[in-house]
Amino acid sequence: MNDATLTHLIPTSLGVSYLWLIPFLPLFGFLLNGLTGRHLRNNSWVNGIALGSVGASFLLSLYYFFQLLQLPEASRSLHQSLWTWFDVGAAQIAGQRLTFATVEWAYKFDVLSAAMALLVTGAGFLIHLFSTGYMEEEQKDFRYYRFMAYLNLFVFSMLNLVLGSNILMMFLGWEGVGLCSYLLIGFYFDKTYAGDAAKKAFVTNRIGDFGFMLGFFLIFMVFGSLDYDTLMGSARSVMALPSITLFGHTASPTFWMNLIGSCLFIGAMGKSAQIPLYVWLPDAMAGPTPVSALIHAATMVTSGLYMITRLNFIFVNAPAALHFILFIGALTALLAASMGLAQYDIKKVLAYSTVSQLGFMFMGMGAGAFTAGMFHVFTHAFFKACLFLGSGSVIMACHHEQDMRNMGGLRKYMPWTFWSMLLSTFAIAGIFPFSGFFSKDEILWKVFEGWYQGGTYQGSTLYLSTWLMGMIAAFFTAFYMMRLICMTFLGNYRGGGEDPYHLTVQGHSHGHDAHGSGTHVPHEVPWNMWVPVFLLALLAVGGGFLNVPHALHVLGHAHFSEWLSPILYQVAAVHEGVEAVSTMEYGLMIWATVIWAPGAMALAYWFYAADPSWSRAQRFVKQYPNLFEWVHARYYIDEFYEALLITPAKRLAGQLWSFDTWVVDGVVNGAARATLLFARISYWFDTYIVDGLVNFVAWLLQQFALLFKALQSGRVQNYAFVMLLGFVLLLFFKFLG
Amino acid sequence: MISLNTVLFISSLMFFIGVAGVLIRRNLLIILMSVELMLNAANLNLIAFARYSGTVEGQAFALLVMGFAAAEVAIGLALAVALYRRKDTVQADDINLLNG
Amino acid sequence: MNALFSTIGQNLFLVFGLLACAGAAVMILSTSAVHSVLGFLFSMIMVAACFLCLHAEFLGMAQLLVYAGGIVVLFLFVVMLVELTKYKEKSLFTTQFKWSLPLVLIALGIFAVTLKSNLFGPAAPVALSLSPDLAQGLSATAQNAQMVSRGLFAGFLLPLEILSVILLVALVGALVLAKSERVS
Repeated sequence: MNDATLTHLIPTSLGVSYLWLIPFLPLFGFLLNGLTGRHLRNNSWVNGIALGSVGASFLLSLYYFFQLLQLPEASRSLHQSLWTWFDVGAAQIAGQRLTFATVEWAYKFDVLSAAMALLVTGAGFLIHLFSTGYMEEEQKDFRYYRFMAYLNLFVFSMLNLVLGSNILMMFLGWEGVGLCSYLLIGFYFDKTYAGDAAKKAFVTNRIGDFGFMLGFFLIFMVFGSLDYDTLMGSARSVMALPSITLFGHTASPTFWMNLIGSCLFIGAMGKSAQIPLYVWLPDAMAGPTPVSALIHAATMVTSGLYMITRLNFIFVNAPAALHFILFIGALTALLAASMGLAQYDIKKVLAYSTVSQLGFMFMGMGAGAFTAGMFHVFTHAFFKACLFLGSGSVIMACHHEQDMRNMGGLRKYMPWTFWSMLLSTFAIAGIFPFSGFFSKDEILWKVFEGWYQGGTYQGSTLYLSTWLMGMIAAFFTAFYMMRLICMTFLGNYRGGGEDPYHLTVQGHSHGHDAHGSGTHVPHEVPWNMWVPVFLLALLAVGGGFLNVPHALHVLGHAHFSEWLSPILYQVAAVHEGVEAVSTMEYGLMIWATVIWAPGAMALAYWFYAADPSWSRAQRFVKQYPNLFEWVHARYYIDEFYEALLITPAKRLAGQLWSFDTWVVDGVVNGAARATLLFARISYWFDTYIVDGLVNFVAWLLQQFALLFKALQSGRVQNYAFVMLLGFVLLLFFKFLG
Repeated sequence: MISLNTVLFISSLMFFIGVAGVLIRRNLLIILMSVELMLNAANLNLIAFARYSGTVEGQAFALLVMGFAAAEVAIGLALAVALYRRKDTVQADDINLLNG
Repeated sequence: MNALFSTIGQNLFLVFGLLACAGAAVMILSTSAVHSVLGFLFSMIMVAACFLCLHAEFLGMAQLLVYAGGIVVLFLFVVMLVELTKYKEKSLFTTQFKWSLPLVLIALGIFAVTLKSNLFGPAAPVALSLSPDLAQGLSATAQNAQMVSRGLFAGFLLPLEILSVILLVALVGALVLAKSERVS
């Protein structure tokens, strides 16, 4: 690592030699905790290692962020190459060209990576801090170090994903976060549902990863490299080619870009929970709540967005893929938001909310507004992490009760949590000065603009229809979030035996071992839990001003969009929308923030808070029982998958098993038997024919020898006798002959 | 005076008694004594030849043979004792290590 | 009577020789080892007498000293040392007894026939003689020991010395063989 090379235009005085520490510090934390945690009797050591490594990583990211700020806009990129990871020699790619590209283990700290690294380490640190309080129970046995080690490993993988300077590094992180997600969802692996949820998440992600891999294989075949800078630099020349021939198929570059974009988006579907691969995310709530906040709201699920933004030069040139993304994003936003309307589990509501918000982000990507989508990633990370951690506090305060029907009236018991979550709710609903307004309405406006076209209304109707879906989803969002606040914090506490309206249910308590079901009083959580929540709430309130839309330039600047512009292939919107400020934009803003979202929230308040017995809601459900049933059961999509895909897959597996058992094993066993038979014959031949001949010769010699053996008696007197015999014979010849 | 042939006959008789002793007896000590007997028969011959040829060499040679016989007896008896210690036997036909 | 004595005196050698053979026969046929040794002793004494009859006085005395005085006693010691009673149940003679005895008799017969046909002729006894320079001042009949010693040291000095070395080697060898084995 000493020979880390400095490239690009960086003055050496800045130095990048410690860049590698940003991802590696959490890795060291993971190794230290994972290998020795069992023997650290004191959990404060575990805490110190885990929080210290992530915190140091955050500070280092902050340091390099300020280094970036000092650089001119065009060259804001730090690069550190540690070693060559793969050296494939020469590889033949499209058009009979040869590439000599190597894959470096290199880190690239540019505008996008910097923002993501700050998000990952910053939010990650707050969530680590929250975990020290939330995982109080686990601290008593020896599971706690494992949890913290996994969290650190996750942070390492995520940083590898966002800081890697080529697609393979990103893929390494991509798979790493998938692994950590599996490990953390299945943290309570002694519970069946947690194990099942972990497997579901892993397998679903594998389907997406397959698409992702195909995507970057194709990129390598077309571009001959996986390095971002090289790809970005050669994108224009590739697009200028008249046609590209690959695998015997000749087509225009746009065709291949569409193909690559679609494959990559399939990967993003898995990781970022889009239809049809979103099903794992709600189940992933089986993990501890900080995990839900860190992985399934703030960071990991945004890796698909990061990937699209990072590879925007592909997607800009792939209009069909963009339309695909736009449609899927809108559909996901709408369906997931509607599913959130009828959930009682507080974490499930937030899970569907996450899926829905991810849909919004993909809408932004699909409309070509990469910076708007990315910005929503950030604001969403703040308010959704805050909401998730807040829900964790609520769950803990209610002694591991997750059903909202058994909560209520928590406002007076836990004021810090209430205010933090309320602010975040305003943010996610998109009320004016809160951050959600700036990010979500920007996305919706960009989509609308695709149809609006500067007042000519000549854009594709796809933009109009997806915009409408997005608007409805936004309405739903505001509704279910207010519903959550009302059911949880307003009214009277329904736990502990007080239940005037018979709303509580004796549910199965998901999560930890349910204890203390008797009378108890909720209480505010300790400081190390509400402080992160409150900090995140503050970010959710003020974060929007980082990227004020052009129309509201009196309030500030679009810092975020300008910051990201160096990595964009094309700054202007894809659909050639006119950037001019129009009255339409102001009209939509006012509509959204004054009527649309507040209306939904007021409706929810009217349903659930103004009427503590929820009779209006129950009457509505009675009136449309099927509708409620369908929404509550999430449109039976899981069951649909079960019937359409999983059962046939299982049946196929069973048939393959039979085939394997009867045919393959049969052939193998038959061959074994034939071999055995042959061996027996050969053994017989060897024993009786070959050995027989040899033994016969030996026997012959032995018999011959036995004839003379008797002469050798070993007795001296026999020899003397023979001597005398010879003497006597001699005498005969000598004297008598 | 007896003739030389008589002496030779007596000595050959003694010699063959010795040979018979070597061939038929199993006791190692008696075999050794028979060998001594054969040597004495030879000595008798030597002395007889000296007596009938008038030369002194026959008697001198008989003296040498007597010395050899003494040495042979010493070694033979030592072997017999060692054999008895080692193999617990003095029977000649028990010693057949060269049996094929 | 005188004639008889004269005849016996003339044939004294024949008497001693036959007695020696009889002792030898006792030796090889006796069931008791001690009897065998005694037979051997008797035979040796008779052989010494035969030597005297053949005018080898020195050798006769030496025979008595060496055999009757030394070797027979040695045999007797060893016979006492070795416990022979435990071979009582075994047969006295070897299995080749019935083959070897006829063969010995045949050989003896051949010798007898050969000697009967007068191989060497009727030789008369001749007095011992030495070369004149060796025999100076000696009476061949009266001074037998001196005669023998002169003949020995004149013609057989080297064999005598070799014999002395052989005796020494036999002495040492017998010691080594017969001494009890050292516990290693």
